[in-house]
Amino acid sequence: MDLVDLIIEKRFLGQEFLTWLWWKSEERGGTVSLPEKGDVTVVFEKHMLLESGEGESAEKIVCTGLQTELQEARTGLQMGKKLEQARIVLGHNDYEYSFTLAAALMEYRNVRLPKTEATESDSNRNPEETEGMILERVYLFEELINMVNALFLLFLKKRVSSSWQEELEQIRNWVHKSPTSF
Amino acid sequence: MGLLKGSASFVRFSVQGELPENPMDYIADRVVSFSYNDIDDTYDEYSIGWVSVLNMFDSQFKYASYVAGDYVTLTLRIDERKVSPAILKKMTQKEEERIRLEKELPKLSRSMKVEIKERVRVELMRKAIPVPSVFELCWSLSDSTLLFFTTNKKIHTVLEDFFKESFGILIRQQIPYTTAENLLKDDDLLTLDRLSPELFV
Repeated sequence: MDLVDLIIEKRFLGQEFLTWLWWKSEERGGTVSLPEKGDVTVVFEKHMLLESGEGESAEKIVCTGLQTELQEARTGLQMGKKLEQARIVLGHNDYEYSFTLAAALMEYRNVRLPKTEATESDSNRNPEETEGMILERVYLFEELINMVNALFLLFLKKRVSSSWQEELEQIRNWVHKSPTSF
Repeated sequence: MGLLKGSASFVRFSVQGELPENPMDYIADRVVSFSYNDIDDTYDEYSIGWVSVLNMFDSQFKYASYVAGDYVTLTLRIDERKVSPAILKKMTQKEEERIRLEKELPKLSRSMKVEIKERVRVELMRKAIPVPSVFELCWSLSDSTLLFFTTNKKIHTVLEDFFKESFGILIRQQIPYTTAENLLKDDDLLTLDRLSPELFV
């Protein structure tokens, strides 16, 4: 299938993943266990964009706020919307990433990498140091992608399995809980 | 901005197709062949090409400065001469009026107006300073993937075309579905293909 058709027809896949990830992160108080990698912390914060419908009938809501319980966003879920964008803080070992994931196209936006010595020093570098700095940053970008892909695979395996209906029921129960009970 | 410092926005592409033997020699040759050509001192309206990620004025890549370990890091530079529509409209009207008075005509013909507008456009374009835009990329040769540091969809299409032109291989954006195709195996792929949207309420 042509990529343009795939983007339209399979738009739901990324949005379902992001919505599932929100539920999954709250299921164990902000921690998701990844095979081989162990626990990663996944915290949704500050900024969310929810969407329902397609084309001209699409409806969107944006929710932002520093100390928010994201109640408007939760109400959006109850109205049948799904997450299209979310600001996520992802932690693994000593590294902490902050980024916005745009679900339909899997765009990584405003990614803040963990601070390390090589990426932070801004003095004039010789070519070897520059190459080292580039490699370190690329390594950190790839670590982030690997973690997001590992979370995505966790979702996909569940989504294509027979136990998906069970998981779906749990998500629906979570969506239907009153926002004040969070 | 993005690859080297500060916060970054990017999308992923998969690189599809095989590089010839001695890929580094091939890439070196192609990068230089398709490097950026300056148009500041010409009347060209558009120029596109590769420059160093460290310096947008470096299109010579001395000592293969685009290689970092197993990665090729490049900046796609696009310079374009642009004339704002409001300026074009103003200057065209001014010129039309000047010619109408000069020729003592009550009204200019349609073909004269078209000719004046095109002439004014070319004159303004020549005076305009090319506006540069730069977009970094990081190509992993071992993974055959590429990070492109912009979420501008129009530029994604430009990259797809220019990358193919430069290196003779295709790239394909990794959206959730194509990423899933790479992550899943066997029967799971068939199930993936049949999935339909689910209601979460």
